[in-house]
Amino acid sequence: MTADHWGFVLAAYGLAAVVLTVYWRRLCRRERELTELLKGIAAGSPRGPR
Amino acid sequence: MIRILGWLAALGLAAGLVMAFGVAPREATQGNVQRIMYLHVPTVLVAYLAFAVVFVASIAYLWRRDPAADRLAHASAEVGVLFTGITIAAGAIWGKPTWGTWWTWDARLTSVAILFVMYLGYLLLRGMIEDHERGARYAAVLGIIAALDVPLVHFSVYWWRTLHQPPSMLKPGPAAMPEGILAALLVNVVAFTLLYAYFVAKRVMVLRREQEVLA
Repeated sequence: MTADHWGFVLAAYGLAAVVLTVYWRRLCRRERELTELLKGIAAGSPRGPR
Repeated sequence: MIRILGWLAALGLAAGLVMAFGVAPREATQGNVQRIMYLHVPTVLVAYLAFAVVFVASIAYLWRRDPAADRLAHASAEVGVLFTGITIAAGAIWGKPTWGTWWTWDARLTSVAILFVMYLGYLLLRGMIEDHERGARYAAVLGIIAALDVPLVHFSVYWWRTLHQPPSMLKPGPAAMPEGILAALLVNVVAFTLLYAYFVAKRVMVLRREQEVLA
């Protein structure tokens, strides 16, 4: 019977999960920063991204 | 709307994992390592879609000078690079136990690597030019030229002798695989397409807000 190489399967899916999660979190963080910045500009007291 | 798309993508990915690991049968020749296909194939198909969107949106931008088309091209290129990177990494991880090597300079792998580098260059170009309108124009030209590599990637396995197998999907005639494997693959293609749509919608929104801040 062929070897299953589960370690390789785990590595491929694990790597994809990490990359996709990091990108998603980066998008969410940038969205929050810009929302706060735009609120600050609208209120007349612009704040830079924290 | 974007939130709903996100939840649909999450549900799709969960269903895709169940199909890939719980429903699809163990492949007879390669064993369970073949399950990497449910990640590798959908991500490359979605990358094709992403670069096709860049192609169309770039033409639209050059024609109409609509900033919305430029934002769509930018967002789609970024997500396309992300998915191409995952395709290459998953392919290398799959290649080691099945081909005996992580990488080889065969036609399919090399043409995908060129595609990846060209769109990475596209993103760098956008970041390098300070004049936004000029950067968008140059990027649109590069986005159109780079998309012409997509057919080359797809047909490379027919045009040259390669280690990579011919396509199992996006080819004339029925898919060359059992129903269980095909169903798992299709569910994952839908899931990754939803994820692509979610990421692009979110990235477009972020780009629009960045331009509002700069305005």
